[in-house]
Amino acid sequence: MENTSQVPVTVLTGFLGAGKTTLLNRILTEQHGRKYAVIVNEFGEQGIDNDLVVDADEEVFEMNNGCICCTVRGDLIRILSGLMKRADKLDAIIVETTGLADPAPVAQTFFVDQDVADRTKLDAIVTVADAVHLSSQLVDHHEAEEQIAFADVILLNKIELVEDNDIVKVNDRIRKINPFAKIIKTTRCDAPLDEIVGLNAFSLDRVLDIEPDFLESDHDHEHDDDVTSLSFVSDTPLDMDKFQDWFGNLLRTKGQDILRSKGILNFKGEDERYVFQGVHMLMDASPMGPWPKGKDRSSRVVFIGRDLDNMNLKEGFENCKSA
Amino acid sequence: MNADLETLQKSYKTELERRGSIFNIGAPAIEAVTIRNQIAVGFGDGTVRFFQSGFEPKTVKAHEGVVLSMANYADDVLTGGDDGRFLKISSDGNIEEIFNFGSKWVDCVASHKDTKVCSSGKTVYIWTKNKDKPQTLEHQSTVAGLAFDNKGKRLAVSRYGGVTVWKLNNNKWTASNFTWKGSHGTVTFSPDTKYIVTAMQENQIHGWRINDKADLAMRGYPSKIKSFTWVGDTPYLVTSGSSDAVCWPFDGKEGPMGRKPIVVANGGKELATFVKALNGEKAVFTGYTDGSVLLAEIDESKKPIMIRSSTGAEVSTIAISSDNSQILIGDMKGSILLSSLWADN
Repeated sequence: MENTSQVPVTVLTGFLGAGKTTLLNRILTEQHGRKYAVIVNEFGEQGIDNDLVVDADEEVFEMNNGCICCTVRGDLIRILSGLMKRADKLDAIIVETTGLADPAPVAQTFFVDQDVADRTKLDAIVTVADAVHLSSQLVDHHEAEEQIAFADVILLNKIELVEDNDIVKVNDRIRKINPFAKIIKTTRCDAPLDEIVGLNAFSLDRVLDIEPDFLESDHDHEHDDDVTSLSFVSDTPLDMDKFQDWFGNLLRTKGQDILRSKGILNFKGEDERYVFQGVHMLMDASPMGPWPKGKDRSSRVVFIGRDLDNMNLKEGFENCKSA
Repeated sequence: MNADLETLQKSYKTELERRGSIFNIGAPAIEAVTIRNQIAVGFGDGTVRFFQSGFEPKTVKAHEGVVLSMANYADDVLTGGDDGRFLKISSDGNIEEIFNFGSKWVDCVASHKDTKVCSSGKTVYIWTKNKDKPQTLEHQSTVAGLAFDNKGKRLAVSRYGGVTVWKLNNNKWTASNFTWKGSHGTVTFSPDTKYIVTAMQENQIHGWRINDKADLAMRGYPSKIKSFTWVGDTPYLVTSGSSDAVCWPFDGKEGPMGRKPIVVANGGKELATFVKALNGEKAVFTGYTDGSVLLAEIDESKKPIMIRSSTGAEVSTIAISSDNSQILIGDMKGSILLSSLWADN
């Protein structure tokens, strides 16, 4: 199937009270001139401007392949299949998840189900965070931490209620969990919709956008339960076979604790850049065209997850360097 | 293995295409049901169109969005739509709204004699004769398939985690659960009503022998099974989802347990997306991802016949008129072929 026929899907997460409903109301009531379908869990509002609102269940099921971290949303597959039968084309689909939901089963649906993957593509995971309460929510609820960890875009909302130095603090707290998400500071979720919907954030070339400032291997030691990130850089080309062995085995055995992984790879003997990104043990990888001329050919990988210190990631990555 | 499709596709137009009519509706053909000598097709633009040989199709604007499901009901059709409406439509274009569920989709519909059934969300609604108010059957998760047995005494409801079979006794429905991990879609009773089978959201079908709930896991498909049909007296359950039509034998005490399926109508690199039995024959029509259709006997030594050549859009429905004289083939781009099955018609 051609990529142009794939409808982009935005997954909207956010902790209770962060402002997700405000954002949904904006999407449904603004004159944006596009046709969106919004998949929600019980929602009072009806769209104007021709948008569709579809009710969904939070129905998660394990795949029969025996992998404990592969779960998908069965109702989401059903609804997306129904939407794809429409005669008129949708410009985008927005999937709301409830405040306490783990975003992984939604994201994994787009990797696992072939029909869904053929006709739609995951555009971005957008998380609405409450600037006032995020710090305490991160302490009390691991769901809040996961929603930050999975995000490609974070709306740091209600900044009008927070002092400037507290905004810096909460911004740093987010960065510790997720170094590559784009953070947009908002009041009443007032970011332009085109910075939220239709971003292509999940496309592999966006992996290149990881801000180098946050790519530091050293980090403060947190509790084992905390979500943290680790990243590695190598100027020595990597051995493709060694990398595939190590990385494949890592996702198979530790995929449950690795929430997101992304990377750009320079393999020995290959002219092209390789990029990958994953959600738990599922991942997409592909060559991404030649390296830009005059720039360093360095490999970069980022992991976001729990218990990363006990995975020998640095050693594993170092061992992939070609001799 | 020889791909039957590649060798046959060299002819430009099939015999059925030469003598039939082609209609370009411009919206995906979702489902088709037969009403006597007419075939009603529901489309992705919300219309239901009635096709009959020698006549222009009659168009009924039924739903706002997509016709999600259809069933025949005497000389009418029942439809469920993503506009929340459950409708009864007659071929003269008369629409009766049986119920309006508002923003909830009507995912599945079914009927038996004068009983009308639909599902919306986790609930199944049953309208019996002369009763205004429906009976309701509740489930733990969204209903994804409905099927009556041939006597109308049992109603199979597929959902996440298996199937609930409801049995009607003295006007009361009692439930029996058949469990298998995963999400279950389209459901069917075997013609002898000894088995139920579902198509899953994974690349497999699952069956149960009803009397002892023994499991039948039928796997190994390269894609999702979107369609199945019972063929012949054996009978065979013929399924899509592979490059062949995969035919599971349901004879004997054990059915397909421990046996290999027969595979016919090889599509080469194309995958089968829709299968439909030719009534009264041990033969099946198989539609593929590229729009082509083959007719094959359930016999690996026989060569299939090319019925429709490639259109570039996957076959989404095939229906045959009650008198076995006409065939209708529809695809996801809305191209419809209506043709007589036999040369002397």
